[in-house]
Amino acid sequence: MGLGLLALRASRSLALNRLPRAFAYQNPSNNAIIRGIVSTPELQNPEAAAAVQQPEPAPELPPRKPVAGARVHFTNPDDAIEVFVDGYPVKVPKGMTVLQACEIAGVDIPRFCYHSRLSVAGNCRMCLVEVEKSPKPVASCAMPALPGMKIKTDTPIAKKAREGVMEFLLMNHPLDCPICDQGGECDLQDQSMAFGSDRGRFTEMKRSVVDKNLGPLVKTVMTRCIQCTRCVRFATEVAGVQDLGILGRGSGEEIGTYVEKLMTSELSGNVIDICPVGALTSKPFAFKARNWELKGTESIDVTDAVGSNIRIDSRGPEVLRITPRLNEDINEEWISDKTRFFYDGLKRQRLNDPMIRGPDGRFKAVTWRDALAVVAEVLHQVKAEEIVGVAGKLSDAESMMALKDLLNKMGSNNIWCEGNGSDPQADLRSGFLLNSSIAGLEKADVFLLVGTQPRVEAAMVNARIRKTVRATQAKVGYIGPPTDINYDHQHLGTGTQTLLEIAEGRHPFCSALLHAKNPAIIVGAGLFEHKDKDAMFSAVETIAKLGKVVRPDWNGLNVLLLNAAQSAALDLGLVPESGNSVESAKFLYLMGADDVDLDKVASDAFVVYQGHHGDRSVYRANVILPASAFSEKEGTYENTEGCSQETLPAVPIVGDARDDWKIIRALSEVAGIRLPYDTLGAVRTRIRTVAPNLLHLDEREPSAISSVAVKPQFSQKVSIAPFGAAVENFYMTDSITRASKIMAQCTAQLLK
Amino acid sequence: MASLLKNALKAIREKGIVNALRTLREEGYTKCLLDGNILQTKIHNIGGTLVGVDKFGNKYYQRYEGIPHGRHRWVEYGDKGRYNASQIPAEWHGWLHHITDHTGDELLMLKPKRYGIDHKQNYSGEGEELIYHSKGHALNPGQRDWTRYQSWQPTKK
Repeated sequence: MGLGLLALRASRSLALNRLPRAFAYQNPSNNAIIRGIVSTPELQNPEAAAAVQQPEPAPELPPRKPVAGARVHFTNPDDAIEVFVDGYPVKVPKGMTVLQACEIAGVDIPRFCYHSRLSVAGNCRMCLVEVEKSPKPVASCAMPALPGMKIKTDTPIAKKAREGVMEFLLMNHPLDCPICDQGGECDLQDQSMAFGSDRGRFTEMKRSVVDKNLGPLVKTVMTRCIQCTRCVRFATEVAGVQDLGILGRGSGEEIGTYVEKLMTSELSGNVIDICPVGALTSKPFAFKARNWELKGTESIDVTDAVGSNIRIDSRGPEVLRITPRLNEDINEEWISDKTRFFYDGLKRQRLNDPMIRGPDGRFKAVTWRDALAVVAEVLHQVKAEEIVGVAGKLSDAESMMALKDLLNKMGSNNIWCEGNGSDPQADLRSGFLLNSSIAGLEKADVFLLVGTQPRVEAAMVNARIRKTVRATQAKVGYIGPPTDINYDHQHLGTGTQTLLEIAEGRHPFCSALLHAKNPAIIVGAGLFEHKDKDAMFSAVETIAKLGKVVRPDWNGLNVLLLNAAQSAALDLGLVPESGNSVESAKFLYLMGADDVDLDKVASDAFVVYQGHHGDRSVYRANVILPASAFSEKEGTYENTEGCSQETLPAVPIVGDARDDWKIIRALSEVAGIRLPYDTLGAVRTRIRTVAPNLLHLDEREPSAISSVAVKPQFSQKVSIAPFGAAVENFYMTDSITRASKIMAQCTAQLLK
Repeated sequence: MASLLKNALKAIREKGIVNALRTLREEGYTKCLLDGNILQTKIHNIGGTLVGVDKFGNKYYQRYEGIPHGRHRWVEYGDKGRYNASQIPAEWHGWLHHITDHTGDELLMLKPKRYGIDHKQNYSGEGEELIYHSKGHALNPGQRDWTRYQSWQPTKK
């Protein structure tokens, strides 16, 4: 927090005063029983404090670093103004607040209500600083910096002001830190170390507030609330739900939903992070662990295609919670509820032993040697074109590479990834990526959502669109089934009919597209499964040409993918040879694929399921090979905008499971077609020859050529059909989330 | 001393010699010679007023005359073999230590019916099975069902 530094500086300035104080205490008459509550009694009187302050010699200022890498961006160099923070000159753009100026100058101001991504409330008064020629201390979060302002952050007046605020805040705050889940990561706890008094003057009863029921995710202990209103502002501004509000005044003031109501937002878990005290905490994590017992592993979320940056907090072999990491380009500092709370699925329904289905239809646990021998034997018995491989939603690039290599060595090229459809277009990366990038969506001024419901398909992308709509009043047109969108939009139609109308310029929304500076079209990956997807995509490309969506300086033609594995699979060229390969398959290798329609599989087909959860496909499998989940392995994932990121192992692998690529490598050895890699590094070297962009971690690799320029015009007739919803249930989309109890609760309570 | 003998004779006359001897043993007189603490308490009891007896058989006495300050109230433990201070229930503890003048019987009325649990003496050093272990303690026999993960059961379907 940097508060230690602040306290240190405060005490250093006090060291100058130590001499007069020592004299005062030697005088017995002065050593009276009456003592102030503040730990620095001589500061009770500001005038006296100012009087004892010795004239400091011009201090040597060590160069300071901005707090938490705060950067200044000058849009107009003329707008720069100079302010002095503790005598240290700093240039900031006009319109910045005093608090931001202090951050750039390297001074961390204590705060509760101020949050950089929310509007300014200015009601906690913790950020008081002294400004020269100002009669009172000013709340720095709400005060704009003015030219030549002399800001003092560590003077006795500022310190005393903050001590006073802290005393009032603690007046009605319960002393239940020992049983509070926020303990150890609580802003109030941290800041009371620097500004709290060592005794209390409050002898009346503390206020108590009835706890609210906000649903299965957020636990409330409203007595702890300090009315910073961060949660209220988050709900209205970022999450876009009007559920939370403030009721009453004075000591009767409380945060609530007014009527008994659950918080039905897909981002509700973030209020846990922004709450500076323990009023809003995680319900599934309640009383499970202390934050200092946890080991944090910086990883990537795989439940949707956004690839939100997360930290997996684990203790021993258990994942105990998931919290967001800051990544301005992808998820800012929020994550969706599914990402935050699906982790208990990692502990349930796990496959931990290789199993073979016996003649009686029962599974029997066997050794790896036996299981791989059986698979290898069958692999050699079937014809090459009858071998089919399907990669699942959660597959990493390394294992998909290994599976493709294995199948290619057997002479088959029938391999694809779930969600990409039977005939995916993988030649041009612009045809399946979010080309304008997630952060780039903020530049757009007109959105056209075609067959996608970003709120359930990619909650973080939806938050970005909402941010744009809120900031710039961008227009949003939506084509698809009726759905709940949490910003102003026009529902243009439900299917291809409307799409064609816009493509032919007959629709009123065309004028909005034509007049837009940076129009963005977002096509949902649910369209990949449609029969005439080529015609639909041509229609979209016609619209793109019409509205000049793709220009050298702006590429607004986007595809929003659904699953973590999709874009890496297309980059690696996981494209099946024939459209109906599942029906003709005699050997089906499912690598975590649980959403394949297994009714179509022939009854005499041999199905191998390699995965970490016993979900849907295991019931049809002949052999089960247990693999590791994303929290247990190192794997590369590419998100929907083409940014490769890496998961890191947080917890050990369960039972006898192995990493996906290792299983395939072992199988190839048993089958006598050894794959030429033994380490993860060697697999990545192989990936480099196919898709080098997958190895450029944390870097977005935009596509070089736009698909609009090179693709032919559409001529195929499109059947007039409405688009379906790609995601039925936001909380349960893959094998891990379907195994999660918390997600099941959410489905039951929040999706009513 | 004379009254003591008179009382003993009276008891023998009333109960018969066998019963009187049994009472003597239960009251701990037979242990007096081996255990000085009991003998000392028995001598102290002479002239003391019995204030109450708790459910464990501990007898609470008091006497205010002719006794040095701070020894006005005392207890004769019900358990004559392994007596210790943790056998005093909470309601009598206050009376015994001059925290309150209300006797344990009076304070028992205040004990919450719904969640007030019975007093239990401290069994430290008396054997692992008697000692309280918290929920997650490795020695707690009932609480070891924690599993790292729950595996998929193939026979379910």
